[in-house]
Amino acid sequence: MSSQFSAQKTRKPGERLFCFLLVLGSVYLFWQAYKISGFSELSSPGAFPLAASAVMILASCITFLNTLKSPAVEGMRFKDHCLPPIVAIVMTLILVYSVILESLGFILSSFAFLFVTIQFLYRRSLMYTLSISLLALIVVYIIFRLVFQVVLPEGIVPEREILSSIKSLWR
Amino acid sequence: MDAFTYFAMSWLSPELLGLTALGTFLGIYVGAIPGLSVTMAVSILISFTFSWDVNYALCLMVGVYMGGVYGGSRTAILLNIPGAPSAIATALDGYPLAKQGLAGEAIGLSTVMSVVGGFVGIIVLALAAPTVSEFAITFQPRDYMMLGVLGIMLVGSLSGSSLARGIFAGALGLLIGTVGLDPMTAEERFTFGVIELWDGINPVAVMIGMFGISEALHQLHHMNKAVIKQKISRIIPKWSDIKKYMPLSLQTSFIGVIVGALPGTGGDIAALMAYDHAKRTTKNPKVPFGQGAKEGLIAPEAANNAAVGGAYIPMLTLGIPGDAVTAVFIGALFIHGLNPGPLLLVEQPHMFWFTVGNLTLANIFVLIFGLTGIKLFSKIVECPKGILIPLIFLLSIVGAYAINNAIIDIWWMLAFGVFGYFMRLYGFPVGPVILGVILSSLTDENWRRAILSERGSVSDLFVNTLHSPLSVILLSIIVFILVSQTPIWRKWLRPKRFR
Repeated sequence: MSSQFSAQKTRKPGERLFCFLLVLGSVYLFWQAYKISGFSELSSPGAFPLAASAVMILASCITFLNTLKSPAVEGMRFKDHCLPPIVAIVMTLILVYSVILESLGFILSSFAFLFVTIQFLYRRSLMYTLSISLLALIVVYIIFRLVFQVVLPEGIVPEREILSSIKSLWR
Repeated sequence: MDAFTYFAMSWLSPELLGLTALGTFLGIYVGAIPGLSVTMAVSILISFTFSWDVNYALCLMVGVYMGGVYGGSRTAILLNIPGAPSAIATALDGYPLAKQGLAGEAIGLSTVMSVVGGFVGIIVLALAAPTVSEFAITFQPRDYMMLGVLGIMLVGSLSGSSLARGIFAGALGLLIGTVGLDPMTAEERFTFGVIELWDGINPVAVMIGMFGISEALHQLHHMNKAVIKQKISRIIPKWSDIKKYMPLSLQTSFIGVIVGALPGTGGDIAALMAYDHAKRTTKNPKVPFGQGAKEGLIAPEAANNAAVGGAYIPMLTLGIPGDAVTAVFIGALFIHGLNPGPLLLVEQPHMFWFTVGNLTLANIFVLIFGLTGIKLFSKIVECPKGILIPLIFLLSIVGAYAINNAIIDIWWMLAFGVFGYFMRLYGFPVGPVILGVILSSLTDENWRRAILSERGSVSDLFVNTLHSPLSVILLSIIVFILVSQTPIWRKWLRPKRFR
């Protein structure tokens, strides 16, 4: 199995730290698995998690050791490879969107998210971004909310009242 | 009326025909949207079809089921986001094909092979339902446990260059699958005192995060790359391709039927096993697996559709669901006054033949809608990334929320998305994580049942395994796979001229 256990030939920036964190995480999970029912019985609720986390420790240690041995890639920086500004900004936008989704409601928060993210990534005129965001939102809303009746966070928009008043127009 | 009349019922009635067509069409699109599962769609349908005539309701639901299982492959190929767990394996080679501009061809081929798989499943259902269900019911917990172990060993196929990284990812998935209240003792496992974790982490949230969010974040690195124009001139696959891949498609269809017929398993496990089978048996693929091998696309697609027919076998003959959707179907049949189980074939044989005829019809509609909708679907990937990526994020977030209408699923999805992004960056495969989550409960519960039935004695478990031909076969496969991974085996197998 040795050949398959060999790690990548070169090490990317931050890879050593990531692999080390995986070892630490695996050890922590093993400890948590042990706390379920210790080493009491093979049929105990903790037996399977213990086995899985032990495998994680073993595999992460092998990966970490291989990473230690491999040479670093030249001319590649952590900032450019892992977290370039574009990724960091979009991650922040997603985080903000998830936080405001429940309080602001699906319609407003999704529209704001689409508008800001498309404008940031696509850089076209405001009118163009506005229409694309609106169109996308309408399609998603029709599919999820109206066709499949998925209850989406209402927030500050009185969605149900609006829907029922639209329905009443048809009666 | 004879069996054939019942078989042709939905073909001859315009209403039943129309409902099957509508169900299949809806199913394809529901299956293609991550977060909207076929189980969810069928459950919703029950609520507004329970007052209908049973035949009408079944036509719509069967169509959604058949179409939904196929539909999951579309976003897997075009966006690397499997619409359903059964399309995870499809993404491994389907997406690389789309990246080469061959999305149309990939979808065309997957459609034809899905239909082939679907037909194999239906034929086996029609001909061998009682026999196959008897075989499936002889599986002991230890056999299920070994089936789970076999599935986990697929990490060898999904782990790319480093097996250690693949094993880590698979074990992580197994551990994620154990989070929540233990189903046997109700003891808390990895809940950290948080009540929301009692139900565990939803596999769909993990799946959307690992595949959807992490892929979209990864795509941000290549924003300046030109959009690949998809070659959609050839949608109908070449006859030579169909002929070439037909043997593999038939083999994996049989894997799909058998795995689908085993209660508790379904199209997802069938597809992964079929992918592994294709990888092991294809000697010299034109393109390596994971980089756009057509064999890697065909195998899971044939298997997951064949599993639909397989899943119906225990449902109709034993009253045991083959997968989550058939579990919902059993509920629907009860609502309509039918009693799925061993007596169904005796007391209501018409239901059996009506279902077989209806599944056949739905499968034909999969072919029709599958091949005609490709052009429109392929346009999705030609959409500028600046628009497509925010839309993927939006769909992923709404899809995760739609699972339980809970924000917590969004948080999980995002956490796994960011973690999956770093895993991808450092060469860890994300496929085995999902595989582990899916197989976790099957392996865990059956291991404990098996060891409990032997009163905790591993030696007794081993001895009893050797006394059952079925268990011996499963054990032999596991041992063979393990041995085949060793350097000694590879050295022995390598042709002399390379030594």
